[in-house]
Amino acid sequence: MNKFLAITFLTAVVVLTSCSDVKRKPGSIYMPDMAYSRAYESYDDHSKLKEKGIHYDARPVAGTIARGKEMPFPYAQDAAGDTTNYTLSKTVPNPIDSLSVVDAKEAERLYLINCGICHGAKLDGNGPLYKDGNGPYAAKPAALVGDAKYENMPDGQMFYSVAYGKNLMGSYASQLSKRQRWMVIKYIKNKQAVAKASK
Amino acid sequence: MTILRSLTKILSIFLFITLSTSIGNQVNAQDGKALFSQNCASCHAVNKKLTGPALAGVEDRWPEKKNLYAWIKNSAAFLKTGDAYANNLYNEYNKTAMNSFPSLSDADIDAILAYIKTVPAPGAAPAGGAAGAAAPAEDDSDSTLVFGILTLILAVVSLILLQVNSNLKKLSDDKSGIPAVEPVPFYRNKAYIAFIAIILFIAGGYMTTVGAMNLGRSKDYQPEQPIYYSHKVHAGVNQINCQYCHIGTYQGKQATLPSVNVCMNCHMAINEYKGEPLVRENGDVVDGTAEIKKLYKYAGYTEGQPWDASKAQPIEWVRIHNLPDHVYFNHAQHVNAGQVACQECHGEIQKMGEVKQQNDLSMGWCVNCHRQTKVQFKDNGFYSIYEKFHADIKSGKIDSTKGITVEKIGGTECQKCHY
Repeated sequence: MNKFLAITFLTAVVVLTSCSDVKRKPGSIYMPDMAYSRAYESYDDHSKLKEKGIHYDARPVAGTIARGKEMPFPYAQDAAGDTTNYTLSKTVPNPIDSLSVVDAKEAERLYLINCGICHGAKLDGNGPLYKDGNGPYAAKPAALVGDAKYENMPDGQMFYSVAYGKNLMGSYASQLSKRQRWMVIKYIKNKQAVAKASK
Repeated sequence: MTILRSLTKILSIFLFITLSTSIGNQVNAQDGKALFSQNCASCHAVNKKLTGPALAGVEDRWPEKKNLYAWIKNSAAFLKTGDAYANNLYNEYNKTAMNSFPSLSDADIDAILAYIKTVPAPGAAPAGGAAGAAAPAEDDSDSTLVFGILTLILAVVSLILLQVNSNLKKLSDDKSGIPAVEPVPFYRNKAYIAFIAIILFIAGGYMTTVGAMNLGRSKDYQPEQPIYYSHKVHAGVNQINCQYCHIGTYQGKQATLPSVNVCMNCHMAINEYKGEPLVRENGDVVDGTAEIKKLYKYAGYTEGQPWDASKAQPIEWVRIHNLPDHVYFNHAQHVNAGQVACQECHGEIQKMGEVKQQNDLSMGWCVNCHRQTKVQFKDNGFYSIYEKFHADIKSGKIDSTKGITVEKIGGTECQKCHY
């Protein structure tokens, strides 16, 4: 009896303590009706809404523009092997003439987050992902300052590349709003002008 | 004599020529490297397909060198000549036009080609770093197990000793003729029962309290994700800003998870993992390249072909940080207006291979931070409407070194978070 008790106790302790301390399951919930939303929230399972008779589409109605937002870019993305719209996009002017102090700061923040990682904080095409070819990114990003091709590239064509992607660069339309894209392009153009003036 | 002199002359000339040509070659390759990185590297790598083909062995592939020069200088014009090799190449790479480089001379192109030849094939160069870094740090697992077993052994020993003691007493009593009292088995011994009852009461009470307090909290929650995505590699080693992927932190309630196209921004070009070995929490080694291939599967991307983003399927990441529905939390308010760093709540994410919930996200934890944290009042448009506080700071009524805590501007009012 004594032995039997001791052995069961010992094995119980060994089993309990040998469990991994990596917590792969979330904790239990007290009053789940207050913890989980009755309404559909972001990152819920939205796959079966239609079956439940809920017709919801977060996308704006086709052909509409939200108040205070920019007009859409007039040229669509080219089909593979075609460069017509890429060339035509040169003619689109930047709706932002100059950046206010606050906007310039914001544009710099956006540039450093979204572009600097490849094109470099100094716009020299040598961001932390490329690092002179030692980083994980194999292709050399464009040197926005110091390469005549990009210094002479009109704002509209830059917008085309940011919005639709170009070669290995992907589209940033999901990360930057239209206004933010134009702001970043203005920021790049300003930096290029400063670099040219100091030459 | 004259023969000897002429011989030395010939020899020295020969030496000079070989030396100068070899030096010339080196200079060529060095120039070539600069030219390559300036003109070619954004679309070509030597050993890897990017926008254009890998350039290793390019000279051998082209039927004639003359054609290669013409192609590089003006690819569009050369295509029109109807050259079969060039046209096949153009179609193979989805009709992506190669930029023309009229400024490159034949010598420049030769220099680039010379450089390409000097780059070793990927298999040839021994990768020294991989083996050395592999040894995982064997952390001496916590000693609770050892101590638990020790305590148990001691408890058993003391029980045995008690039993032995009573037996001996019985023996000595027998010898001295004291009539033996019917021995009480230990499970009916009142002292034992009382002792065990108290222990059970304390342990049970402790476990119930802790369990109740942890209801609805998930501290240390570290689920396995559909893809082994390492924040350590992305945000730590490669210094990608948190907001590159979590765009919503600055703009709205949700931090937002990146859609597959954000992953593909970089992973179109990065298709293999070569960094330090990745290890799961339980010690399993993860093959980084295989995890990138999993991403390609979700994205519907076949390497070497153009990617159609509309074929992508969302990755169902397991949500870790979650607040109950009756709590309102807004990322933008904390990150944008409050200028709180991500790490203050989420811990050192940039060092986590698998993300783990660092804090319990309990109400006490929230309120504590609101009591202690000073609001970033200076140059912060969001708080410009708190005119009285600004005036008081100016007049010295409020000690500007102590500042204004979140509590002072109503950060601990119930309705701020529960409504």
